[in-house]
Parts: sequence; structure tokens; C-alpha cells
Amino acid sequence: MNKVTTIFLVLIALVILSAMAAVTFGPADIDSAELISCLVGSCQNQIANIVIWQVRIPRVLVALVAGMGLAIAGAILQNTTRNPLADPYLFGIVSGAGLGATIANISLADNLTIALPLAAFLGALFSVIIVVFIAKVLQRMEQLLLAGVAVSFMLGSITQFILYFGEPFATNRVIFWLMGSLARVEMANFYVIASVLIVAIVTVIAVHRQIDALLLGDESAASLGVDVDKLRLLMLGICAALTATIVAYCGGIGFVGLMIPHIVRQLIGVTTLKLIIGSALIGAIFLIWVDVIARSSLPHAEIPIGIITSALGSIFFLFIMYRSRAIT
Amino acid sequence: MSTLLNISQLSWQVQNKAILQNINFNVRKGEVIGIIGPNGAGKTSLLRCITNQNNILASTNVTGSVQLKSRAITQYSAKEVAQHFALVMQKNDTIFALSVQDVMKMGLLPHKTLFSLDSDHDKAQINLALKKVGLEQALHHSFNQLSGGEQQRVLIARALVQASQVLILDEPTNHLDVFYQHQVLQLVNKLNITVIMTVHDLNLASLYCQRLLLLNQGQLICDGSPEEVLTPKQLSQVFGLPCQQSIDPMTGATQVSFYLPETDEHHSRFSESVDE
Repeated sequence: MNKVTTIFLVLIALVILSAMAAVTFGPADIDSAELISCLVGSCQNQIANIVIWQVRIPRVLVALVAGMGLAIAGAILQNTTRNPLADPYLFGIVSGAGLGATIANISLADNLTIALPLAAFLGALFSVIIVVFIAKVLQRMEQLLLAGVAVSFMLGSITQFILYFGEPFATNRVIFWLMGSLARVEMANFYVIASVLIVAIVTVIAVHRQIDALLLGDESAASLGVDVDKLRLLMLGICAALTATIVAYCGGIGFVGLMIPHIVRQLIGVTTLKLIIGSALIGAIFLIWVDVIARSSLPHAEIPIGIITSALGSIFFLFIMYRSRAIT
Repeated sequence: MSTLLNISQLSWQVQNKAILQNINFNVRKGEVIGIIGPNGAGKTSLLRCITNQNNILASTNVTGSVQLKSRAITQYSAKEVAQHFALVMQKNDTIFALSVQDVMKMGLLPHKTLFSLDSDHDKAQINLALKKVGLEQALHHSFNQLSGGEQQRVLIARALVQASQVLILDEPTNHLDVFYQHQVLQLVNKLNITVIMTVHDLNLASLYCQRLLLLNQGQLICDGSPEEVLTPKQLSQVFGLPCQQSIDPMTGATQVSFYLPETDEHHSRFSESVDE
């Protein structure tokens, strides 16, 4: 067995162990014997049964697929744009989702459970359509990233304008939503995110050689028979759908897409197949544990998960800068 | 030798500027052809048209035809074109730490379907190609950390894995020192496949190409053996510097040397370009 296969098997084991361990964390006092009996369906304590099956397991599963999805979206964008700093956030996806969520909150105060994710999803897609449109008009697909940053700021300022004049309650809700949280997720959310994730992974595995060919430049890829613009557009669409779905249910969770592929490149390799599988596994482990920290580090409150990922992400960023300074 | 490529009345115009003008020539199987000419003569543009990069021949700015095995190249899919032509580019901008193996695997792409993984046969092909370019030890080395000459050789090996019939090289000796220049061109010469390459150094082109195409301002000035093409009259017209032709006593190849202008005619272009 080669080194990469071994690492993948270890990571798969860690994902399963992390998910199981994470179910034991939480405010309700449930010991491991009770946990196991509830998991196998012979639970004596009905409250424990409900807490495990309706609160903790959905939450851990959503953390798992959201971590996978965000990390994969970052990995795909980085390889298709040959830019290690590409991240779904830089393409305006999250600010678009934020604008959608803001409009939903301000204009439809009731029935937010369906309206909020839907509006966030539409906002994210809207921003991606603008970004691609701008890049198309400029006829420069490599400028997607710059167009993304511009659109991100534009939508962000519209959001802030609406929030500034909006009703304080709605404004509060949006601000908390933007910080990211898994506190209100349900099993249904897991199914939706997992379906999009499966479509994304299957598509990327199908075209992994094409994406790899891009790593040595657009011209080189085109000479190997790759339709560079079409491939990039397809991958951007997949990342947008993936990120928009996750952001719609979980709010803003930054830096996962930037940080995890970076670790995978150091640990496993840079080519697409290795990067995607590695990012999915490490992303899942990362977000499961960050969510454990988010819900169990303060006695009677939760820390929004986006605050923790951003804090860890920025420290990580400085660490990379420090290390690359040491190398050069 | 059978005709592999037929380029006929090829012209490319961009905003009233002629990039290529009425280019006609054939390429026979097994030929090693060098395209020479000053900067901006249209050498790389010609390579782009021959391989129909980004479907350039479909653009309204381009007229004329390129036929591969008596069939218009526009009728081939991008994948089929990649099965016939392997390109070795001037510049490779990668920032990720690709290994030599990763780069080599790219060569398999035109022969693979969606979802396909690497087979043992693929691995054997890769090892064989690296052996041919003398880099069998470098499989797991980082591509970026190789010397310029080694990178070129890896890309040539990638072209071998691609198993195409024509190898296209754009300035393969750029940024290489004298040793690597000869090493790379000697390698290309020994591969026994059809090669079309742009070369800046006229003496290297003469030494390693059976046939030269001299381009100037988008026009094909001369097409023939090095001896026929590298004449002082033609070269001094095209490059704006007086030159002399000689035969290299060691190799027997036609060689040229340019010297500083003395006549007014040459001097005017030279001093203009210096002033720029």
C-alpha cells in the first residue's frame, strides 16, 4: 500500500471517530453507555434518544458535509484558477448569499425557515452570474477572481445600506446569521447538502485529468484537448452551488476553503484527485471539531462557528506567511 | 515520404495588421522543420494556426486552410488534435509543487475517457518516455526545481507519452545555456517523429533542422534547406544587419555570422532600433 492510500485510510478512520466522538459533546448529560444504546436503537431514556437523533446527529452530519463541501469548493477553485488564494468567498458567493438573506429578513419577517435559505441561495447564484457575466464581457476568464472581489464589495455595501436603514431586530438576525452557526440545522439540511456534494465530487472525479492539465497553464491544457473556458465555467458553477447551499443553511463560515486545501497540498499532493479527496476528509474533521468547540467551550452559550474558523484561518494565514518568509 | 500537413493560403489579419499573409507549405512525415525570423515575424502565430489553438481557424480574421492527412483540421475535435500534435511551450506558469510524474500524466489525457484512472501500462509508458530523455531518476522530483533544460526534456517526454505524430516546439532553447541547447535539440532530432519548431538561433536551426521556413512580417520569404535559406542576401534583408555565410568545418553545417553595420542602408534601421 502506498503512502497516499495509507493517509486516506487513516483520515477516513479519523472522520468516523471524530463524528462519533462529537455526538458525545453537548449540554445534555449523556454518558457513553447511554449513547451506544440509543445509537443501536435500545434506548431507555427517551430524552436522550431525542437529543441524540434529532439534535446532535443532524448537527454533526451537517458539520461533516459542510466541512467537506467548503474545503472541496476551495480546492476546485484553486486548481482551476491556479491561484492558491482562491476561495468561494472571493467570488462574491457569500456576499451574494448575505444580500439575499438580508432582503428575506427585512421583507418577510415570518416564514423565515424556508425563505432565508432560499433567498441566500438565490443571492449567491445571482452574484456568481454577475461575476461570470463581467468576466465574459471582458473576455478574460482569468479575471474571474478580480471580478469576484469587486462584486463582493458591491453586494456587501448594498447589504450594509439595507441593514443600516432596516428594522433593528431583522438587522440583528442577519448579523448573527452571517457569523455562521450549526445550531438550527436539521436532518433535511444534511440530505440537501449531501446531494449537492455528491454531484460535485462525481463531476470533479470525472474531469480530474482536465483540471490537472490546467496546472501547467491554459495554453498547455488547450494543447492537450481541454476546452479551458468551458471547464472553468463548469467548475465555478459547481463551487457556487456547493457554497450557496452550505451558506444558506449554516451562514458565513470563512477560511475553510482556503486553509484545508493548503494543508492537503503539503501533506498529500497537488493533483486534483488527491486534493479533492484529501480536502473532503480533512475539511470534515476540521469542521466537526470546530463545531464541538463552538457549542461546548462556553457554559451557557454558543460561539458562532464562523468566528472560530475566521480566527483560526487568520492565524493560519500569518503562519504561512511566516513560513514562506523563512524559506525564501 | 507522405504528406502529413498541408497549409494553403493561410492569412491572419488583426485590426488591419497582417499577422500572417498567404502562407503555403507542406509537411512530410518525419521532417524536422525550423521556423526562423525576427521578433514579430509571425512564427508563434503560425504554430497556433497549424494546431488550431482555441479554434483559431474558425475566426473570421483567419482565411485559408490547414489540412491534416488530407482533412481540414477544423473537422477534428480538440481531443483528436491533441492525439496528433504535442506542444512544448515556451513558458510554463505553475506555482503548485507538481512532481515530474504529475506533469507526465498530463500527456495521457488525450487518450483517456472521463473517470479513468492510471493503468500499469500508463506507468510503464511514462517510465519509458523519461528514459528516452535521460531523466528516469527524476520521476518523483519536483518539476519546478529542475533546471530549464531538464524541464524542457520532461515536457518532450510528456509529448512522447501523448504519442502524437507531430511535435511542436515554441523556442525550445530559450533561456538555456549552450550545453542544454544542444542537448535538447539533439534529443528532438533523435526521436524520429515529425517536428516543427520555432528557433531564434539561426546556427542551431541550421545544425538540427533539415528544412527551414524564413518568415518576415507575416510572409513566408523562403522555404528550403538551411543552405538555401540562410543566404546573406535574404538574412540581411530580413534582420537588417549584414551577414556572412560559412560552412562549419566540424559539422559541415551552414553557419551565419552577423556583424555591425557600416553601410548607410543597414545603419539606419540599426540606429533607429537602438534609439527606440
